[in-house]
Amino acid sequence: MFEHLHAGLLAAVSMSNLIALFFGTFVGIVVGILPGLGPMVGMVVLLPFSFAFSPDVALSLLLGVFCGGYFGGAVPAVLLRTPGVPSSLVTSFDGYPLTQKGEAQTALSAALLGSFGGGVISVVILIFLAPALAHVAASFGPPEYFAVAVFGVVLVVMAFREQFARGIMLLGLGFWFSTVGIDGTTLSERFCFGTLSMQNGLDIVPICLGLFGIGQTLILVERDIMKTNDIKLSRSTLDFSAIVKVLKYWKTLIRSGVIGTFVGLLPGTGSILASFLSYDVAKRLSKEKERFGKGTPEGCLASEAGNNAVPAGAMIPLLTLGIPGDALSAVLLGVFTINGIYPGPLLLVKEPVLISTIYISMLLINVVAFLMLIIWLRPFAMIVKVPGRLLAVVIMVISMIGIYAVNTRLFDAGVAIAMGVLGYILLRMGWPVVTLIMGVVLGEIMENRLRETLSLGDGSLGILFQRPICIFLIVLTSLIILIPFVLDIRKNIRNKKLNQF
Amino acid sequence: MPKKDYYSSRAHDLLGSIFGVFALSMLITSPWQVDTSGPDPFYKGPLIFPLIVFCLMLAGSLPSLWRLFRPSEKSSWYLDGQGKPFKTMVILGLLIIYLAGIIFIGLEVSTWLFLLIALKLVNQDSILKLTLIPVLVTLILFVIFKYFLDIWFPEPLIMEIFLE
Repeated sequence: MFEHLHAGLLAAVSMSNLIALFFGTFVGIVVGILPGLGPMVGMVVLLPFSFAFSPDVALSLLLGVFCGGYFGGAVPAVLLRTPGVPSSLVTSFDGYPLTQKGEAQTALSAALLGSFGGGVISVVILIFLAPALAHVAASFGPPEYFAVAVFGVVLVVMAFREQFARGIMLLGLGFWFSTVGIDGTTLSERFCFGTLSMQNGLDIVPICLGLFGIGQTLILVERDIMKTNDIKLSRSTLDFSAIVKVLKYWKTLIRSGVIGTFVGLLPGTGSILASFLSYDVAKRLSKEKERFGKGTPEGCLASEAGNNAVPAGAMIPLLTLGIPGDALSAVLLGVFTINGIYPGPLLLVKEPVLISTIYISMLLINVVAFLMLIIWLRPFAMIVKVPGRLLAVVIMVISMIGIYAVNTRLFDAGVAIAMGVLGYILLRMGWPVVTLIMGVVLGEIMENRLRETLSLGDGSLGILFQRPICIFLIVLTSLIILIPFVLDIRKNIRNKKLNQF
Repeated sequence: MPKKDYYSSRAHDLLGSIFGVFALSMLITSPWQVDTSGPDPFYKGPLIFPLIVFCLMLAGSLPSLWRLFRPSEKSSWYLDGQGKPFKTMVILGLLIIYLAGIIFIGLEVSTWLFLLIALKLVNQDSILKLTLIPVLVTLILFVIFKYFLDIWFPEPLIMEIFLE
């Protein structure tokens, strides 16, 4: 293990990797600070460029945006009560009151130290937990993989339980997108509508870029998400003494980092739940409970440690099972597969240096993002003054050219526009677009595993009930679906009874 | 607007129903749109997964279809009060024209024109922004994609016409 880590360290500190890592982190912080954009837009815009690089450099670039986005999201949450990323909303509960009291430096120190600590803790957990999980997954056959994929998909759909039917529809639509083109197993044509361009299938890149890049920027065009000139910062860099002062909450930091990692590990749960849960636990266990919500650095630290632990947590199921935990890691899965690397238990055996490079790069990204924000705090904070509409138009052009450049096909750019329209409609109507992306990414895996399972069972899915791991996963999946519905029904009956009295 | 009311708008039911009708039509036409001439048994073939998927979509759309045709008294078409997306549609149209423009007038001119018109449309009226940003972004795109990445872009048709 240690020789691989050493080789990974050497690859991670190579010039090309460091440049990608710095640039990705910089872009991540910028899109994280800008409300309405977020790391997803940053990742999909950079996605076409990543194909020019080797897989490790491409992953460092995108992981930089992924992690940097969560770092950046805290800045407007603390200074303006406007979270750059949705999960930083919890940071604003205590961050903004501290800013109003003239303690913005303390709040930002707590938030950034939390982000840094949460990120580092989660990478350490990833390093030790991923091989253990991969060891278990090594005994998996197609039925187990199919059951795990179903479990992951159900978790994602159930995360949007209020929109269960819509989630199912979008998941189905995503699955359908993944079937378009030539079927890899039988080489049969599917849903090509007589066109040659469709035979190559719908690439994940134009779909993601269209849904999130174009879709989100079309929303930005019609809405001024935020306009402000009111930024209260006493100095241009972060005050080091304020960081030292916040270190007394180290127990909260470790606890929140661990919570965030395990929340991130579960598909569909996401960073919002991680920051809420970390904040809530910190509040319950704090000696200064009454200060929560009125302005305590401990609250900022807990929520940021929770949400910044999610990226590494989401990498655990991605690397070991090939199941992405959220839309961001689904994009990373796309990068892996396009480069001919298929995440799963064997990946840790086949590509140990690549995996170690990812680990070390993720640690470095946290250090780089932390240092960048310490040194360039004011310039980064000033980014919120850039008009969102101007950015939207520029991002559209970069997205269109970027998408064309991947395969030099204008057809892909057309797909991105069509997906942009769909993304705009779905985002404006608040539908769970994440389930659509999960469908696109997991569609091929699900289909292949299903067909292999059916082949093993001679056309019957009964084989799933003959294998202990499958039975366990089926029971777990059924409980995840049934328990919330049973609880809802009980709640409705209780409410009706109360209304009768 | 409260979250519950927002999600109960009939616009959601209409969109869900569109997905449902689409899934139904695809479910019916799938056997003709998928080449099933291979010797594989059905469960190993290319049609089984799409059929499951369309059934899944159709099942998900049933509540929307039901509500669309049997609306409750309180239901309305009101969505979010953000108005009609005229500006968005114009920008979207421009984006499509921009793609066609790359073929007809080339990457540089069409990028510059798109940025100039789109920025004006989104109320970026400052002369400095209108002149500087389109030129700067076009230049950056040219340097990255044509110079560094050596990406091939179609020769502008207009050039061919003039050369002929």
